[in-house]
Amino acid sequence: MEALVEGPQVQVRFVTQQREFAIPETAIQTPANLRRYGLSEIINLILQNEGEKQRPFDFLIDGEFLRTSLLEYLNEKGLSTENTLTIEYVESMLPPTPLSSYEHDDWVSAVQAHHPGGFLTGSYDSHVRLWNKQAECIQTLSGHSGAVKAVQWLSSNGDKGTFLSGALDRSILAWEYNTNDGSHSILYECYGHTGGVHSISLNNEGDRFASGSADASIKIWTTTVPSVSDHIDEVETRKKRKTSKANRIAKTPIATLSAHTGPVSAVVFNPISTDTLYSAGWDHSVRVWDIESHVNLSSKNCEKVVHSLDYSQHSGLLASGHADTVVRLWDPRSEDSSVVKQSLSGHQNWVSSVSWSPSSAFMLASGSYDGLIKVWDIRAKGALYTLTHGKGGKKVLSIDWTNDILLSGGEDNQMKIHRLQDMETKSE
Amino acid sequence: MSSSQPKKRVSAAKPAPKQLTKPAPKAMPAPKASAKKGVAPSPPTKVTHTPKSKKRTVQEAQEESDDEFGNEDMEDSGDSDDGEAEEFPEEDGQDMSSADLDSVDEEAESDESYMDGDSLVDSQEELEDEDEEEEESDDEDFFKEDEIDPNFGRNLDEPLPEESDYKPIRREYPEIDPVYDSDSSTEENENTVGDVPMHWYDDYPHIGYDVDGKKIMRPATGDELDKFLSTVDDPDSWLSAHNYKDGKDVKLSSEELEIIRRLEGGRIPDADYNPYEDSVDFFTSQTEVMPLSAAPEPKRRFIPSKHEAKRIMKIVRAIREGRIVPRKSGYVPPKPKYYNLWNDAEDKPREEHVMHITAPKMKLPTHDESYNPPAEYLPTEEEIKEWNDLDKEDRPKNYLPQKFGSLRNVPGYNQFVQERFERCLDLYLAPRVRKNRLNIDPDSLIPKLPSPRDLQPFPTRLAIEYLGHQGRVRSISIDPTGLWLASGGDDKTVRVWEVATGRCMATYHLDELVTSVAWSPNKDVAVLAVTCGYKVGLILPEKLFSPELAIHSEDFVRAGFANVGTTEANAKATWKQPTESEYAQGIRVWVHLLKPVKQVTWHRKGDYFATVAPDANNSAVLIHQLTKHQTQQPFKKTKGAVQRVAFHPSKPMFFVATQRYVRQYNLQRQELVKTMLTGVKWISSLDIHPAGDNLIIGSYDKRLCWFDLDLSSKPYKTLRFHSEAIRSVAYHKRYPLFASCADDGNVQVFHGMVYNDLLQNPLIVPVKILKNAHERVDSIGALCVEWHPTQPWLVSSGADHSIKLFS
Repeated sequence: MEALVEGPQVQVRFVTQQREFAIPETAIQTPANLRRYGLSEIINLILQNEGEKQRPFDFLIDGEFLRTSLLEYLNEKGLSTENTLTIEYVESMLPPTPLSSYEHDDWVSAVQAHHPGGFLTGSYDSHVRLWNKQAECIQTLSGHSGAVKAVQWLSSNGDKGTFLSGALDRSILAWEYNTNDGSHSILYECYGHTGGVHSISLNNEGDRFASGSADASIKIWTTTVPSVSDHIDEVETRKKRKTSKANRIAKTPIATLSAHTGPVSAVVFNPISTDTLYSAGWDHSVRVWDIESHVNLSSKNCEKVVHSLDYSQHSGLLASGHADTVVRLWDPRSEDSSVVKQSLSGHQNWVSSVSWSPSSAFMLASGSYDGLIKVWDIRAKGALYTLTHGKGGKKVLSIDWTNDILLSGGEDNQMKIHRLQDMETKSE
Repeated sequence: MSSSQPKKRVSAAKPAPKQLTKPAPKAMPAPKASAKKGVAPSPPTKVTHTPKSKKRTVQEAQEESDDEFGNEDMEDSGDSDDGEAEEFPEEDGQDMSSADLDSVDEEAESDESYMDGDSLVDSQEELEDEDEEEEESDDEDFFKEDEIDPNFGRNLDEPLPEESDYKPIRREYPEIDPVYDSDSSTEENENTVGDVPMHWYDDYPHIGYDVDGKKIMRPATGDELDKFLSTVDDPDSWLSAHNYKDGKDVKLSSEELEIIRRLEGGRIPDADYNPYEDSVDFFTSQTEVMPLSAAPEPKRRFIPSKHEAKRIMKIVRAIREGRIVPRKSGYVPPKPKYYNLWNDAEDKPREEHVMHITAPKMKLPTHDESYNPPAEYLPTEEEIKEWNDLDKEDRPKNYLPQKFGSLRNVPGYNQFVQERFERCLDLYLAPRVRKNRLNIDPDSLIPKLPSPRDLQPFPTRLAIEYLGHQGRVRSISIDPTGLWLASGGDDKTVRVWEVATGRCMATYHLDELVTSVAWSPNKDVAVLAVTCGYKVGLILPEKLFSPELAIHSEDFVRAGFANVGTTEANAKATWKQPTESEYAQGIRVWVHLLKPVKQVTWHRKGDYFATVAPDANNSAVLIHQLTKHQTQQPFKKTKGAVQRVAFHPSKPMFFVATQRYVRQYNLQRQELVKTMLTGVKWISSLDIHPAGDNLIIGSYDKRLCWFDLDLSSKPYKTLRFHSEAIRSVAYHKRYPLFASCADDGNVQVFHGMVYNDLLQNPLIVPVKILKNAHERVDSIGALCVEWHPTQPWLVSSGADHSIKLFS
């Protein structure tokens, strides 16, 4: 094939971090005027992928995506065609496609998707809303008296489901809904936090969840629905509270983890290990907890407030969004307390929310106060895709990447849905 | 010839004066004088020696060598005389010296006369002879003798009376008997006219005079034919030359011809003479064993010196007569001061005078001053014209570059004298002053401030805008947890915002402009104090805090209503219950004052708060106790219009800023501790460092002053970086940061490190200017700055209705 092509040739060596697509690392002569498509064909040829099995690839040279032909790239960088070029190829992801936009009454501060269940949003109007994929608000659940800052699915099987919501009114409510008859009810209310609840995370077994709050504590709760209220402090039972919330079943935490010295902005369970919890907060620390022994295993510090944290089971890395413009990646297993594994900079304002790709070890999305959502390939230097959430740089407050759906909610009262498809999810 | 030499010496020794002109120095002035007076030449007496020049030279050389021997003797005696002559003037005073010098001269003369031969036989009387004139009289006699020389007048045709005095002496010497082989020239009558042109004698029958002054008649000469014949006949006639002096033909010898030939060739006449002989040192370094001369010691070495005796006698006489006073004993003659010319080891150049300033160097010539400058330096015609049109003073250069083919074509520089003159004028009239220039690198004078990059974190970029106010936002405050931001402004609202998102969580509508808001610093009491008009309100944003905290806060705030009866009737402030609607909003307590309140500030424990009502004269500053609902007036009298007050963060101190001064009071002892002289005209804001030892003020005259309370009552640093009036200054509670905002819309962030070490002064580094943080509206920019209590975030509010958070 190479012999047929006229023009300058360049020697390239293809490498990849994805083992399933690995090819021998031998240098090959390729025409220099090849673009991404041509190079992708070469890889497919070598892999002997044919027909349906053919996959598109993206190509990284020195951490930059190849968007031009090889020759143009070489000319731009002032490189010679004589040298062997090492090209990393990654499985290509199709550009995100905006699907729909869900209008809210107020700022959307929490979003989460569930594959059969639909989308949950928490808003500053203290309502939790349940949406289906047709952009219809199935249910609006009101029970909070403050802005809903966190939502967490517990279970769903399409028509029925349970979920949690945490709000600035310091409470976490467990809800049950049924779309068939349109009913919903509060299963129980979690008492204990003295500050607004910023984050809720459910463990992989679904029997525990953790909540991070502005009162600098992390509380661990069980998901079992209690039949009677737990004992609650005397102060709680003043007349005003009694009147409004007497009918709720109260629940107290099984454990309180207090090592943070500032508001805890994010908690996330390790999806593999049931007992491992990661948390981060305004005290600039990222902490690893063992929730069985309630021990803070390790803590890592940086200079900035952490707004958001997410863990990827594929890469084993923590991603954090900060009160500067950087997304930082941490290796929770490393002993070093202050080493940031990687920094992804590109945002123009605080990063409010981060979310790993559920399928890829390299894909990451982040939402920022600059109104942009960026999709990163951590092997590349810059952002892979940049999506605009709202007009005029309205803040993005929360994003969630579940399966091939990227949800984002923000200051513009919208929840937006993007389809983020890599080939793997498509083929599933 | 060689054989005759010794004889000739003998003969020449005596008759020399006769044959040659007299060599005595006294005779020498004669021809000079005659020459001066332009008189006709004296009768020539000098014997011409043209044909015998060789012999003459040899003879003279011989004589000179004789003289040298004689001179040696003479020098001996002279040396001794000179030694005396040098010593005498040192020994005595001035009165002696002139006479002595005269005498020395005369002695020298007399010495010469001694050499003539008669000195040795001088009588002893001379020793005592005091009259030196005797010698002179000898000389006079000598001349007299000349005057009466009989030959003189007789030989002269036209004698001139003036010349007679100067005639050389002629003595009749006995005829020398010419022995065999003596020089034939002596036998003839030689013409003695000397070197005068012979045509002077053309009109006379004679051609000169012989040695006795007799005329030598012109010899008969034949006519041209005879001459021709003689040349034909005489084979040697071509060798003969005509001697005009004698009027005869002289046959030249072969030696003479040789001499002529050599002269014509420009060589030295004497063939034997070697001009390049090896030089023989007269004095050699070797000490000769044998003396050069074997002559016996002269007698005069053994007899006392007559001259010395004379001089000694002279001194003796002078002493006797009292003309010389002998020196007193014990006198040490001063050591001679001399300069060791050859000592180059110590011979350093003399140091210049302290005040000496060397003249500035002239400017070195440049290319266009060359006689042959490159073409680009030559002026064009327009330039020449322009140069000519300019006044002399205005010309950039006082010359025009010119080109010459070669250096020798360059004319004399006609400006030279003028330039030198001006240079001299410059040097003379322009005083040169030695400037002690400090040789300091200006960069080293700049204090070594750390780079702002090393002082992170500090706010650098706008993160969040809090939008919602409809008027100027005059005051902002962040609650001690750092989650809630309260703001109050001209739109008569107080708003509470979520710091992290910029979401307005609560709005309280009041009936007056809100001038100041302040959260209680006590974390257990979530109360916001606001000033609006004549009132101070205490707001409890219930929804934002947990019920426990809200209930506790409410109890805390309203407990004081129990002892409301204790309030005096004429109190400066009255504590009042809010109305129902106000209560529903969240307002819990009103404190009514007599004058509009401008500022409210909390004591660190959250029980007391102070208010400032500048118009209220003596009761401008009031301190309110929240738990008891009591109001105190700490100062009976306040000096000046109070602008701001502040509690000390840890001690019972209270700071009051008036227009120009900041006063520190001790509240416990109720006394004035310190008065800070700010040096500014109108203080606008005040903040105390969280450690309590430093404070900053902002002023309407654009200055920010940092006071170190331990250091001085004057500002430790005055920073003037704003271009408009500073509205607000604030310290960060945790980070070493402070900020100021001004009407120019800028917010400036400083690193202000206060060290625990008392010896180390605070370090102030400007780290960031947040330019145009707020738009200017009606020439008012940023109004208030506030730091986040836990994060390095800065919140500022401005006249553009906005609040901004920088991180």
